[in-house]
Amino acid sequence: MRKTQLGEFEEIVLLIVATLGDNAYGVSIKEAIELQTGRDLSISAIHATLHRLQKKGYVKSFMGGASAERGGRRKRFFSITPLGTRALHAIRELREQLWNQVPHNVVNPKTT
Amino acid sequence: MTQKGTKNNLPPKWPDRILEFFCSSTLVEEMQGDLLELYEKWTCRYGIRKAKFLYILHAIRFLRPYAFKKISIKHNSGIMIMNYVTFVFRRLLRSKTISAINICGLVLGLASALIIYLWVEDERRVDNFHSKGDRLYRVYMRQHFGDQTSAGYNSPALLPETLKNDFPEIEYASGYAKVLRLSQQGDTYESFQLDDKVYKMRGSRAGEDFFNMFSYPLLAGTAANALNDPNGIAISRKMANLFFGDVERAFGSTLKFGSENISRDVAVTAVFEDLPSTASDQFDYLVNWDYWVEHDDFKKSWGHFGTYTYVQLKDGSDPALLEKKLVGYLDERLNIKKESNVKIELGLQHFGDQYLYGNFENGRPTGGRITYVNSMAIAALVILIIACINFMNLSAATSLKRAREVGVRKVAGASRGNLILQFMGETFILAAFSIVVALITVYLILPAFNQLTEKQIILPWRELKFIGNVVLTLTIVGIVAGSYPALLLSAFKPARALKGKVIFSSRTTGFGKGMVVFQFALSILLIILTMVVGFQTSYIKNKDIGYNRENVIYLRLEGALIKNYKAFKREAMRLPGVAYVDRSSQTPHTMGLNGPFVDWEGKHPDQSVNFIPTSVGYDYVKLLGLKIIEGRDYSDEFPADTTGFIVSESGIREMGLKDPLGATITVFNKKGPIIGIVNDFNGQSLHHSLTPIVIDFKESLNFGTILVRTKPGQTEEGINSLRKAYSTYNPGYAFTYSFLDDAFQRLYQSEQIISKLSSVFGSLSIFISCLGLFGLAVYAAEQRTREMGIRKVLGATTAQIFLLFSRGFVKLIVVSILIAVPLAWLAANAWLQRFAYRIDLAWWIFALASALALLLALLTIGSTAVKAGVRNPVDTLRTE
Repeated sequence: MRKTQLGEFEEIVLLIVATLGDNAYGVSIKEAIELQTGRDLSISAIHATLHRLQKKGYVKSFMGGASAERGGRRKRFFSITPLGTRALHAIRELREQLWNQVPHNVVNPKTT
Repeated sequence: MTQKGTKNNLPPKWPDRILEFFCSSTLVEEMQGDLLELYEKWTCRYGIRKAKFLYILHAIRFLRPYAFKKISIKHNSGIMIMNYVTFVFRRLLRSKTISAINICGLVLGLASALIIYLWVEDERRVDNFHSKGDRLYRVYMRQHFGDQTSAGYNSPALLPETLKNDFPEIEYASGYAKVLRLSQQGDTYESFQLDDKVYKMRGSRAGEDFFNMFSYPLLAGTAANALNDPNGIAISRKMANLFFGDVERAFGSTLKFGSENISRDVAVTAVFEDLPSTASDQFDYLVNWDYWVEHDDFKKSWGHFGTYTYVQLKDGSDPALLEKKLVGYLDERLNIKKESNVKIELGLQHFGDQYLYGNFENGRPTGGRITYVNSMAIAALVILIIACINFMNLSAATSLKRAREVGVRKVAGASRGNLILQFMGETFILAAFSIVVALITVYLILPAFNQLTEKQIILPWRELKFIGNVVLTLTIVGIVAGSYPALLLSAFKPARALKGKVIFSSRTTGFGKGMVVFQFALSILLIILTMVVGFQTSYIKNKDIGYNRENVIYLRLEGALIKNYKAFKREAMRLPGVAYVDRSSQTPHTMGLNGPFVDWEGKHPDQSVNFIPTSVGYDYVKLLGLKIIEGRDYSDEFPADTTGFIVSESGIREMGLKDPLGATITVFNKKGPIIGIVNDFNGQSLHHSLTPIVIDFKESLNFGTILVRTKPGQTEEGINSLRKAYSTYNPGYAFTYSFLDDAFQRLYQSEQIISKLSSVFGSLSIFISCLGLFGLAVYAAEQRTREMGIRKVLGATTAQIFLLFSRGFVKLIVVSILIAVPLAWLAANAWLQRFAYRIDLAWWIFALASALALLLALLTIGSTAVKAGVRNPVDTLRTE
């Protein structure tokens, strides 16, 4: 548990970064999450989370090329690190392990 | 316009600056990029307003601890400063009422001062934005007639060109027509047609050099060729868009130009950028000067004084020297002999000064609008001083509570200098906070203010001068407002301060009282002046001026109407909703032409009576509702009437005619009897005194204004039926009309604006003063808690204590009234001299203002006084 400190929102962001591949940057991540979860997010929350994830070593980033589109400002692209992948796996394993232990009639009361 | 449009689409810049200031530079770029990208999406989804709001909101949310710049701390002075700031805000929160009053007063004072400053700056910018402005001059003309001197800007239309030829110092010269015909003062709208588009635009004529002299940017065409083609026209961007859709298509295209009596084709030779609102000559088109002058014999003569002359001097020429050479320039051309008692001289005025210094005294430009600008600047200063005084008084009042803090600090080793710095610093923090709030307030109320003053002022965030002035104001306010409490507090003796036994000497409280008197005197002064301006403005707006200006509209006699006027009138009189139709050579509210035009039998050679002449048709007297006092109106039953005159009462009096009816007079070479006498009526605004009017019958003279009286309640019907008739009688000309009563009101526009402004700022100043008084009352109540307690124990009633408490303050207000009233009388009297018709400075205006101030003051201290009166002595005396 201690190895993989990953909050719920951090987990979503990390998963989205992995999903988006080459095109993961602030706005695209924000929109992907909004699309997937239906939550309304502030861009600063995304930035803060990415910053935190980078500090933990789960993502790495580099600055992209300038384009005229954003007033000439470059994008910072994020990609998941091996450490990040391992953290995702760990959290998923933990979840599955826990799911398997829950009695069947408790999680699916209607079917019984 | 379009430029403005794209500018408005961009998100605001200041959140970006905030991010750059606070956030680490490695992060700012991606933040701004993401925000901009989102902004574009928001704009599509929600529209610009919401997108801007979201932009600001999201930008501010970026301000999180992780993003901040890492500050390297060398000393722990940063922490110390933070401690001071925390301290200031803690103290503010502790005494909420006083803090709110304090900050509120300062914010209001600063905001009013700022907004007045912006207004004053805008006024000063009028006509002062031309790149060669220091070499641009306007020619004015001074007339000496006997011992009378008068002056004005009107000059012959031929003057610019001959001046340029005769004086090598003059680089460029151009005429400009402020008035196209004497009968249409200020109305320079003319009709233009392109296919089915017919519009009236405002414009004028100007010389070839015009665009070389004035820096109006050209979007198409060159400055040299813009106005040299007799059949060319230079138009504004707005006009190009209106007729042609865009500038490129407009350039070189042809328009039908319906000038006074003929309609002709003109080609667009230049397109210029829309004029800024700070240009006092406003036009959407300009056409060739020479063409206009050549087609009018009167304008070709030197006796025509109806246009303006602008010159640009060569670099390094001395205007004073040129002015000397110019003095007698017109003598020869006007055939004025040396021994004649008439002298006409030319003078030069800086082009940039014409707007603010447009009044003449003794034949030289002296003041004018600058009086208003200066008074507003003084008002701004006064309000700021009142706000500073408030701050001083309130800080002193609350300082008692801080005596212990000062004591502790002194014991701990703080020197007096340290304490002074600390208190000054606190004031600066508060002043800085207030100025930020004030700037936001100004930003929010500017649109309303612009509507009030008919200006287009924006907050010049980025102008260095503005920022400098704001910082300067902050420094001055900080020093002025902070010095008194700082000096007062830092002087406490620690031993006594720690015991909590600080009582101010009578000198300190005297200072506070003096300031209250000063504040209230200024406020009462402002209130009295506001009332005088307000009463005077409503007086001149509502005064009976001798004719009925309601339900009258007027339109210009132009185009085919000149030929068809009689038929048009006959048809129009029959239209539903129309009562009378007539023409007159001068529009009733702005009869600009006046002079000694009337000759009569038995006139003494030295006698000179100024008359306003106007020529009219059969229905003029009925249309305007003038009263015939003697004789009769023009009537078609008496064919001889066409040679007769109708004169106003004062004219008869001034001519000194014993038996006026039937007496023969001569006006402009026309000789005839006086057939009627009408009541006096004012042909101009009430700034001017009553001038006698001579009405002349010339139904067939084809220029001037068509006046239409509609039947009461049927104005709309009348206008609609007129519009139809107009389009058949005058194709190619747009039907535009004005209401006479509206136009009359507009003559007092600057008084109305001043009246509105002064009432706003007058009430603000009294409000701020009351805030200060309230603070002082709270302080006094606290100081005298024990005294009041003892009085109550000894049997004083609540009412007695209330009276005792209020008496001191009432005395202060009475003293302020005594100071303010004479000053206000002097100032009001000086202002009223501008009007030929003015209200009496009745005593009750002063009494009312004083009573108002006293009442407000009593209300302000009332609650505190009552509180002091009803307090239970058990509570107040318990500490003894």
